[in-house]
Amino acid sequence: MKRRDFIRRSVTASVATGTLFSMGKWNTLLASGISSELPFDMVAVKNGNPIEMFDMGIAALGGMKNFVKPGQSVVVKPNIGWDSPPERAANTNPELVGQIVKHCIAAGAKKVTVFDRTCDEWTRCYKNSGIEQAVKDNGGQMVTGAIEADYMPVKISKGVTLKETKVHKLILESDVFINVPVLKNHGGAQMSITMKNLMGIVWDRRFYHKNDLHQCIADFATFRNPDLNVVDGYRVMKQNGPRGVSVNDVALMKYLILSADMVAADTAATKVFGIETAMVKHIGIAEGLGVGTTNLESLNIKRISI
Amino acid sequence: MNRQTFLRPVRIIVSIFFLVGFILIFSDVKAKLPSGISLFFTSFQFLPSILKFPNVPGIISSGFIFIIVLSLFSGRIYCSTFCPLGVLIDALGFLKRKLPVKQKRRKYKKPLNIIRYSILALAIFSLFFTGILAINLLDPYANFGRIASNLYQPVFIVMNNLLSKLFVSMNIYSIQPLVFNVFQALPFYAGLTVFLGIIVMVFFRDRLYCNTICPVGAILGLLSKISFLKIKINNSSCTQCGKCQIACKANCINIKELKVDTSRCVSCFNCISVCEESSIGYKNTWIRKSEIQEKTDTAKRNLIKAGLLFLGINPLLAKAEGEDKEGGHGTKRFSTRGPISPPGSVSIDHLKKNCIGCGLCISVCPSDVLQPAFLEYGFTGMMLPRLDNKIGFCNFECTKCGEVCPTGAILPLTIPEKKLTQMGIVQFRQGLCIVESEGTACGSCSEHCPTQAVYMVPYRDDLTIPEVDPDICVGCGACEHACPVIDPHAAIYVFPHEVHQAAKEPVSEKVEVESTEEFPF
Repeated sequence: MKRRDFIRRSVTASVATGTLFSMGKWNTLLASGISSELPFDMVAVKNGNPIEMFDMGIAALGGMKNFVKPGQSVVVKPNIGWDSPPERAANTNPELVGQIVKHCIAAGAKKVTVFDRTCDEWTRCYKNSGIEQAVKDNGGQMVTGAIEADYMPVKISKGVTLKETKVHKLILESDVFINVPVLKNHGGAQMSITMKNLMGIVWDRRFYHKNDLHQCIADFATFRNPDLNVVDGYRVMKQNGPRGVSVNDVALMKYLILSADMVAADTAATKVFGIETAMVKHIGIAEGLGVGTTNLESLNIKRISI
Repeated sequence: MNRQTFLRPVRIIVSIFFLVGFILIFSDVKAKLPSGISLFFTSFQFLPSILKFPNVPGIISSGFIFIIVLSLFSGRIYCSTFCPLGVLIDALGFLKRKLPVKQKRRKYKKPLNIIRYSILALAIFSLFFTGILAINLLDPYANFGRIASNLYQPVFIVMNNLLSKLFVSMNIYSIQPLVFNVFQALPFYAGLTVFLGIIVMVFFRDRLYCNTICPVGAILGLLSKISFLKIKINNSSCTQCGKCQIACKANCINIKELKVDTSRCVSCFNCISVCEESSIGYKNTWIRKSEIQEKTDTAKRNLIKAGLLFLGINPLLAKAEGEDKEGGHGTKRFSTRGPISPPGSVSIDHLKKNCIGCGLCISVCPSDVLQPAFLEYGFTGMMLPRLDNKIGFCNFECTKCGEVCPTGAILPLTIPEKKLTQMGIVQFRQGLCIVESEGTACGSCSEHCPTQAVYMVPYRDDLTIPEVDPDICVGCGACEHACPVIDPHAAIYVFPHEVHQAAKEPVSEKVEVESTEEFPF
C-alpha cells in the first residue's frame, strides 16, 4: 500500500505542478501581447519563392529572435484543412511552413509544434499537404488536432456572440503563437485569411456557422492575438474556395504578408486578392472590436519586391 | 518418418506469421499500410477468395485454387496456418493448457458429422438462395474479422493512446493518439458472442469449431479424404502408446483401431513430433491405394465432390445472371432514404451478394465514415458497411476500402474512377438552411464539397446561399456532415443510389490574374 500511496501522491503532485506551470505561461502570454519593438507594423514581399520571401520578410522585422526567445515553445498554425497537394493551394505552402519552423529552431525554440483541426481526415491532410514532411525535416513536430480532449474551455470576454468555446491546449500552453494562413477565396466567409484561419484552433465550428459566421470569426479574434501572422499568397485559390476543384482555381501570385495585426494583414491580403475589404464582413467587425486597423495608411509598412 | 518432425515447428512459424499479419491489418485504423499487405494475407482466405474471383479475376483472387490444390496434396494445411481463426483457436488452446487446473487428457472423439454436414448444406443453400448471411455467420475469416475489428481494435486504440500520452509527457509527438469512435452495440456484441463462443468450444474440444461448425473446414475435410499425402499410422511399428492421441487437437486419432480421421485432421503435426517410434506421419496414399482404401461409400463421396465443385463455380454462375435494377429517387424524402453503400460496391445488391461482413473496410476507413449496418440493408445485410455521414464523410482522394476488400464486394477503384462514382446525390432543403432561416452567412456545405456540386450563389443582403448541381455530385456526404442544421435533419444531405451511377466531371475555367509591379496598398 505504501508504494501505491507514493505513486498516487507523486502523480497528483506532478499534475498540480504541470497545471501551475502551464497556467503561469498562459498568464505571461496574455500579458505580453504584441511586441512594440518591431521596426515595421507590416512587411509585404512579392515576386519570390516562399522560402526567400519569408527570409527577407522576417529579416525586415528584425529576425525571428524578435518573436522567439531561446528556450521558448512555439506553436505554428498553418491551414492544413484539406487532403490536397501543394499546387492546389487549399493548404498553406509547405515550404513556407518548413522555413518558419527552421527560423524558430534557429532562434533557440525549445520545441516547435504544428497542428490544424482539419476538415478532411487529418492524417491524409498532414501527409498530402506536404506540411508534415516539411515540418519534420526542419525539426518541428506535428500534433493532431482531432482529439476533443485536447481542447480546453475558454471565455471570450470581448465576444458579442461567441462568448465561450474550446481552444486547443497548444495555443494556451505555447509561449509563441505564429498564424500562417493561406490566402484564398471562401464560399461562406468570402475570404479565408488570418482570422478565418483561427477557426482551426477551436473545437466547435458548427456554432460559428449556426450563429452568424462573420460575427463569431471576429469575436474569436479578440481572444488571443497571434504574435506573428504570415499570410501565404504564393499560390492563391481565386475561386471554388476553400477546397477548390482543380489547379484551374489557382493563380501564382507570389505574395507574402507579415504582420502582428490580423485586421491589417487581412486588409492588405484582400487588396492583393482583388476584392473590396468591406465585402469580407468579419474584417470590419473585428476592427470595431479593437482587434486591429483596416487603415493601412496609418501603418508603417515595408514593401519588398524581389 | 523421423525426418518429418520438422513440420510442426514450420507450421507454428507460418501460423504466427499469419496471425501477426492479420492483427496488423486490422490495427491499421489510419490506412497507413500499403493495401498489398492486406491483400496478401486475405488472399489465402478460402471463401473470400471464391467470392472475389468472379469480381476481380487474377492471381490475387485465385487463393482458393491454391487452397484446394494444397488440400488435395497434403490435407487441411489451411486450417493450421492461413486461417486466422484456426490459429487464434490454437492460441486459446495453448493458454487453456497453461491454466492451473487439472485437465482431461485428450482422446479420440467421434465426429459430429450430422451437424457438420448439415451446416455445410445450410451454408451452400444460403449461397444459392438466401443471400450469404448464413455464410457470413459461419465463415472463419469473417468471424475472426468480427473479433478483430470489434473487440481487439478498441483495445489497440486504448493502448496506442496510453503510449501516445506517455510519449507526449516526454515531449515526443511521434505516436499520434487515435479517436475512438462511437460505440456500435451490435457489432460489439456480435464480436463478443463469437469470441465467447470460440472460448467455450475450445474448452470442450480444441478444434470443435473447425470440425463441426466451420463450412470451410468441412469442405477442406472432404478434400483431405482424397488427398495425396495423409497422416497415417504405421501398423507394424506402432506400440499404441497413445501419445499421438493425447497430442491431437482435433481428437481424430483412434489409437485402438490405428486410424486417423483425415477429414478432421487439421495438419498440425503434433502427433509426428511426439511419436518416439516415428510410426505416424505423412504417407503417400495415391500409389498403393488398395492397401489403404477402406470400405468407403464411393457414391456418397462422389456426390460430395460434385457438390464441392458446384460450390466453387456457383458464384460465377450467380454473377452471370446479372441483376440491374434502376434506383432513381431524386425526389424522395430524407426519412425514407436507405443506406449509402461504399464507393466500388456497384449496388446494394452486389454488396449484399458478396460481402461477408469481416469489417476490414470499416477498420481501415481513415475517415470512419464506414460503419457496420444494423437493419439498414435489411436483416440479411447486418454488419455490412454503410456510409454514416453523421460520423464522417467519404474522403474524395481515398480508395482504401475497395483496395483491401477480400471478397470484391467493394471493387478496387482507381482514384480517377472513384472521383466519378456517384453513390448518391445531393438534396438541398432551402427552408432548413441557416442562410434562409437565420439570415446569416454559412456555406459550410459548399466549403466541404470536393466537386462544387454545392456552390454558393448571391442571396439577399450580401449573403450567399447553396445551390446544387447533382450531375457532378459523388455522394460523399461532406456537405451533410458539415451542415450545422441537425433538427430535424441536415438541410443538405445525400440520397443514396441503389445502383451507383457515373458522375459528370466538374469543369472550371482557369483563373487569370494580371500581375502588377506595384503593391496594391
